[in-house]
Amino acid sequence: MASGSVSITIKLFSALREALGESEFQLNLTEVSEAPAQIDVAAIKKLLSQRGAEWKEALNQPNLVHALNHKVVFTDAVVSEGDELAFFPPMTGG
Amino acid sequence: MSVALQSEAIDVAAEYAKLVRDSPGAAVATFTGYVRDHSGQQSVTELELEHYPEMALKVLEDLGQSATERFGLSGWRIVHRFGRLAVSETIVWVGAVADHRGEAISACELMMDTLKTDAPFWKREQGAAGEQWVASRDSDSARRARWQSGEAQ
Repeated sequence: MASGSVSITIKLFSALREALGESEFQLNLTEVSEAPAQIDVAAIKKLLSQRGAEWKEALNQPNLVHALNHKVVFTDAVVSEGDELAFFPPMTGG
Repeated sequence: MSVALQSEAIDVAAEYAKLVRDSPGAAVATFTGYVRDHSGQQSVTELELEHYPEMALKVLEDLGQSATERFGLSGWRIVHRFGRLAVSETIVWVGAVADHRGEAISACELMMDTLKTDAPFWKREQGAAGEQWVASRDSDSARRARWQSGEAQ
């Protein structure tokens, strides 16, 4: 990446969206110390947790689900420019 | 061999007719889910279903494909609602066509068990006690796990 920065889309659903008052926003990862190639979901959670107590609490629930580009992933999944990362509680459809 | 995400009620008769017309086979199994009027001891008057459209479509298409590979289906269809739903309305409909009943029935069960824990939909119930998000159930996760452990076939 020429600029050295990574921009991703964050999406929040259900109780998480409601608790944090946001459903979708762009996140520019210039603030992360790791090289862009090594930014994983855990690093994004850490970064977003700095936004306040409610963010820290919501993103550190033990049953939180993370989906990267529409696929459920673990926190060690690496994010890249243009990715879409979603956070939500366990699914209750059907 | 397709998925529909829709806010309008599911026309079960039309879905069935289309499934058997497009995919002739000797065995057809379907499942229809409706909005319950209670949740535990609480009465429910309305349900709101939030969803993540792009991911829901992908998860359900992959699920239909995987059921096809596992059970040799000649046809399948998954329809899931979103938005506001009244009690007794349809929420979900799945259909599977195979050569024999065992495969068709198992495919429907696999699709439903997997859909409940893996497809990004979230139920919010409204009732006498107010509104609340529905919590995920351990029994649903256990049913889902049977298909991965080989306990269900």
